[in-house]
Amino acid sequence: MIAAALRYDLPRDLDEALALLSQDPATTRLLGGGTWLVPELNRGVVNADRRVVDLRRAGLGEIRADGDVIHVGATCSYAALEASELIASRLPLLHAMAVGVTGGRQIRNQGTIGGSVAAARPQSDAPGALCALDAAAVIAGPGGTRRVAVVELLSGAMRTTLRRDEILVGFEIEQPGGGHGYHKLKRAAGSWPIATAAAILRLDGDGLIDRATLVLGGVCATPLVVPVADVMAGHRIDDDLIAAAAQCAADAVTEPWCDELATGRYRAAVARPVAHRALIAAQSAAIQQRRSQL
Amino acid sequence: MSATEVVDGKLYAGASVRRHDGDRYLRGRVAYTDDIVLPGMVHAVLVRSELAHARIVGVDADAAREQPGVLAVLSGAELARHAGPIPNAMDPVPVGGQPIALHCLPVDKVVYAGQPVAVVVAETRTAALAAAELVAVSLEALPVVLDAEAALADGAPLLYEEWGTNLLLSGTAGEGDYDAVAAASDHRIDGAITTGRSAPAPMEPRAYIADWDAREERMTWYGTTQAPHPLRHSLAGYLGLRERQIHVVAPPVGGSFGYKNFGHPEEYLVCLLSRLVERPVKFVEDRMSSLRYGAKDTRMTFQAAFDADGRVRAVSCALLANHGAAAATGAFGMAFAASLALPSGYALEAFHGEYRLAVTNKGPWSPMRPFGKETASLLMERVMDLVAERTGLDPADVRRRNWIPADRFPYATTTGLELDSGDYAGLLDKVLEVWDYPAARVEQTRAREDGRLLGIGFGFEVLPEGADIPGALIGASDISTVRMDPSGEVEVLTGVTSPGNGNDTAIMQIVADRLGVLMSEVRIVQGDTERCPFGFGNVSSRGILTGGGSAALAADDIAVKLRRVAGAMLEVDAERIVLHGGMAAVADEPERALPLGVVAHSLYTIGGILVPDLEPTLESTRTFQMRNVRHHPDEHGRIMPFSTFSNGLYVALVEVDPATGVIELQRHVMAHDCGVMINPRFVAGQFTGGVVTGLGAALDEEVVHDADGVQRTDVFKSYLLPRATDVPRFEMVHQVTPSPFTPLGTKGAGEGGVACSMAALLNAVNDALRPLGAQVDELPLTPERVLDAILEARA
Repeated sequence: MIAAALRYDLPRDLDEALALLSQDPATTRLLGGGTWLVPELNRGVVNADRRVVDLRRAGLGEIRADGDVIHVGATCSYAALEASELIASRLPLLHAMAVGVTGGRQIRNQGTIGGSVAAARPQSDAPGALCALDAAAVIAGPGGTRRVAVVELLSGAMRTTLRRDEILVGFEIEQPGGGHGYHKLKRAAGSWPIATAAAILRLDGDGLIDRATLVLGGVCATPLVVPVADVMAGHRIDDDLIAAAAQCAADAVTEPWCDELATGRYRAAVARPVAHRALIAAQSAAIQQRRSQL
Repeated sequence: MSATEVVDGKLYAGASVRRHDGDRYLRGRVAYTDDIVLPGMVHAVLVRSELAHARIVGVDADAAREQPGVLAVLSGAELARHAGPIPNAMDPVPVGGQPIALHCLPVDKVVYAGQPVAVVVAETRTAALAAAELVAVSLEALPVVLDAEAALADGAPLLYEEWGTNLLLSGTAGEGDYDAVAAASDHRIDGAITTGRSAPAPMEPRAYIADWDAREERMTWYGTTQAPHPLRHSLAGYLGLRERQIHVVAPPVGGSFGYKNFGHPEEYLVCLLSRLVERPVKFVEDRMSSLRYGAKDTRMTFQAAFDADGRVRAVSCALLANHGAAAATGAFGMAFAASLALPSGYALEAFHGEYRLAVTNKGPWSPMRPFGKETASLLMERVMDLVAERTGLDPADVRRRNWIPADRFPYATTTGLELDSGDYAGLLDKVLEVWDYPAARVEQTRAREDGRLLGIGFGFEVLPEGADIPGALIGASDISTVRMDPSGEVEVLTGVTSPGNGNDTAIMQIVADRLGVLMSEVRIVQGDTERCPFGFGNVSSRGILTGGGSAALAADDIAVKLRRVAGAMLEVDAERIVLHGGMAAVADEPERALPLGVVAHSLYTIGGILVPDLEPTLESTRTFQMRNVRHHPDEHGRIMPFSTFSNGLYVALVEVDPATGVIELQRHVMAHDCGVMINPRFVAGQFTGGVVTGLGAALDEEVVHDADGVQRTDVFKSYLLPRATDVPRFEMVHQVTPSPFTPLGTKGAGEGGVACSMAALLNAVNDALRPLGAQVDELPLTPERVLDAILEARA
C-alpha cells in the first residue's frame, strides 16, 4: 500500500507529459510499466516523491520501421516486443531478450523497455541487449529532442544521464544483420539475471567477420561492451576465435557488480562461459543467415 | 468399518475425493483475515528499527499523533504499563533453556533489524503508514553479532544481558559409547554440513484483528493461527481475562507451514490496542516482515565409524543452530527435535549428539516444517554416501545394510524414540520399480566420459510427528463432535484446523463412510473456539491422526444408534443394518431400506416408541488420544513425545554445469510411506509442497544479511522460491505401512518431502562433482558455491 498521498497524472500525449513533468521535475517520478516503481512506492522506498506521471497512455508504445531504422517506443511492453513480427524478423535479438524476461507473463505484459533502461538496474535484460544493438535513446525535454547512445545514457547502477525534466521517448535501432546469440544465467525462474551476454556476428561475402559485438549485462554496474571486434573482425570464425573472444569478455570485467544473489567474484567467473555460449549461438545464426543470402 | 464396507463396497476414505470447497478457493470466494471488515475497524502499522542491535533511547511520536486519523501511537515502554511479557507457546526452561520473556513491543532494546519498536493506530491503513513515517525512534547502536559461533565466543555482545550468555539451549542425545565402538570399527570418516537460513514464506502473510467489546468485556480475535484454542488460553493469560471472555476465530489461511501456530507479538498487540482505543484493530503483515522469520541456519559436524562391509556402527555429531532473536513461538524446539530425529531410521550401536542453539541479531526463528528434522536427514544421508564412497559400495546397498529391518518394529532408537513401524528397504524397492537405477549409473559413467557431470543422490527421512509435548498446548489428542440433525444432515465440529491442505475434506470422508451418508450431506466447522470443541489445531502433522480419529469415534457412536433405530423400523437386528449411500438397509436385502433422514427423524420424534432405552439424540463428542507417547522419563531421562513416524526415500538425478556451477534437476523420484492414506490426492499435494520447500532450501532459498545485520533478501526477487518451471515433473509412489497405534492406520503427512529432497540434492551434487575431486557441504547449493568448489578442486 502506498503510504504517502501523491498526485497521479495520466497524460494523453508527449507534450502533456512534458508539461506535467515540468511543473515539479524534482518530485515527479515517471511510470513506464510500473513493475519497479509501484512496488517501490508500496514498500515506501521512494515515498519522498509526491507525483507520478504515468506514460502508458502517452502514445509512446509504437514499433515501426523507417527505412533501415526501427523505432521502438519507450512504453513498449516485453509482450508487445515478443508479439511484433517486425522485431522478430529484423531485431531478433530484442525478441529473444523479451521472451526470456524474468517474472513471467504478468511482468512481460506490464514491464516496458524504456522503463527498464530508465531504471538502469544492473541486472535487467534490456539495457545490455540495446547496447549490443547500438541503440540510440530518443529523449524529449523542454528544449526539444536529443539522441544519445544507450551505452552513454547508462552512467551507473540505477543511474542515467537523463535529466529530471526529460522523458525517454524510445529507441532508434538499425537492423544489424548477421546472426545473434543471447545467453542468460540466472538462479531460478524468479531470479534477476546474474549475467547476460548479447552477441551479434556478421559475415561478409568471403565468410569473414565484418561485425562482431558482445555486450555483457548484469556483470558490471552498466552493460559491458566487450571489444571483441579487435580480435574477431576480418577473421574466419572458428572455435579458437570464439574462445579468444570469450576470454576477452572475461578480461574486460574489472569491477564486477555484487548483490544479494551473487558476488562480483562469481559474476566475473561466469563472464567467459556466458559470453562463449552467446557467441556460439551467434556463430551458427550468422552462418545460417549468410547461407540464406547466398 | 463394518458398518459401511458392504453393499457396493464404495468408500470415500482412500479415494482421491476433491476438496469440498475447492471451487471457492479457485474462484476467489474465500474470505481470508484481511477480507474481514468490522464496523469501526482501525489499522495498526508498526514502526521498525533500522538497526540490528540497539538500546532504545526514546520514541518521539508527537508529530505522528497530530496526523489526521491517528488514534494512538505507542512505544513498547508505554505498552508495558498495560501488560507483561507474552506467554511462550513452548517454554525452553523445562528442557534446560533460558527463560524467554518478550513484550509485544521491546521495552529497552532492539535485537534485530526490522524489529517493531512502536505502533501507530489510525482510521485507515494509509493514514497509519503515513504517520508511522513521522515517528522518530532514537536508538543507541550496540555491537552486532550474526554468526552463531561468534555469538557464543567470550566477549560477544549479549542480546539478553540477563542470561549472561547467548546460548538459548543446549543438550545431548543418544546412547552408547561412540569412542569404544569407533575404536572397534574398521574405518572412520568425518564431515560437516551447513544449512542456510530459509523463511516459511506462506502466500498470505500473518494478519490479525482484535475486537474488544467494552460493554460485554469480551474479546473477539480473528486471524491467521493454526491453534485457536491454545491461542485463546495464551491470550487470556496475557490479557488477564478468563478464556470464556475470548473468542478466537481462525478464517482460512493461505499457507502456514508452522509459521502461523501462535506466539507472535502482534497476536497480542492487537488485543491491547483494541482495548486501549476501544475499536476493532487490524494488523496485516507485509512481505518484508514475513521474510524476517526464518529457520534452519544450522552447522553440523559429524564423525562416523563403519566397517569395510558398509555397516555404520556409530555416529557422533555436534549441531550449532542460529536462532536469530528469541521468540515466544516455541521455535527453539526445532533444535531439540533435530537431536531426537537422529540417527534417523538407521540401526546404530552408538550415537552421540550435542546441540547448541544460539541467539543472534538476525530475525527470530519461526517454527517451519519439518521442524528441524531436516538436520537429521542431511547428516545421516551424507554419512551413508561418504561411507559408500570410502568402501566403494553402492550408496543404495549401504543404506540397505544399515536400515532398521522391517521386522524389528516397534524399534527403540538411540535417542529414545520408539519408531512405530516401517519398511525402509521396501521404499527403495518401490523407487527401483519406477527407475532403472543400474541403467542410470551406466548413463552417468558415459556422461562423465564426455566431461558431463551427472550425479545421483539418495535422500531418506524418518519424521517424528504427532507431537505431544509435556507442559505445552501441543498434544497428540483431539476432540471432535459429530451430530446428525432430524433431516439426516451431518455436522462435524473439530478441534483440528486446516492450513489449507484439505484435512477438513478428509475428515468429512471418514465421517461420511462411518455414517453411510453422502459427502454432500456433511459439513465441517473448524477454527472457532465458540463452536468447536477444544483442540490443538494443526501442528506436527496430526490433523487426520487425531481430528480424523476422534471424528471416527464420534461418528461410530451415531452409527450404532442409527442401526438400532433402523433395525426397529425394519424389524431386524441392528447388527444386520448396513449404512451406505444415504440409506439404512438390511444386509443382503437392499430393497428393505430407509433413507437415513427418515431414520434420524424417527429417533428424534418417536424414538421413545421405537427404541425406548436409547437417548433420542444424534450427537457425540469423543476424544482420540495417541497412546504410544510417553512423558515419564526413562532410565536415561528421555521422554517419547512423538506418536507416528512417516518416512520417505528420494532419488535425484542432477547435472552440474562445470563452467557456471548451475544445477539442473533432471529427475526426482520419490517413495513415501505415511501409512494409510485417507485421500491420496491430498497426500500427494502435501508432499508436492514439501518437496518444493526442500528443493528451494537445497538450491536457492537463502536469507542473507549485510554485515550490519540488515536483511538483504526481503522480496521474492531476492529470496528465491522455486517456481513451477524450476522443478521437474515429480515421480511419486506410495508405500502403505499402517501405524499399529492409530485406528485408521494413518501417520503424519504434513512434513514429508522437505528433508529427503534436501539430502538427495546434496548427495546428488556431490556425486556429480566426484570426478573433479570437489565437494560442497553448504546449502543452498547456489551456483556460486558449486563453482567455488569446482575451482578450488582445480586449483
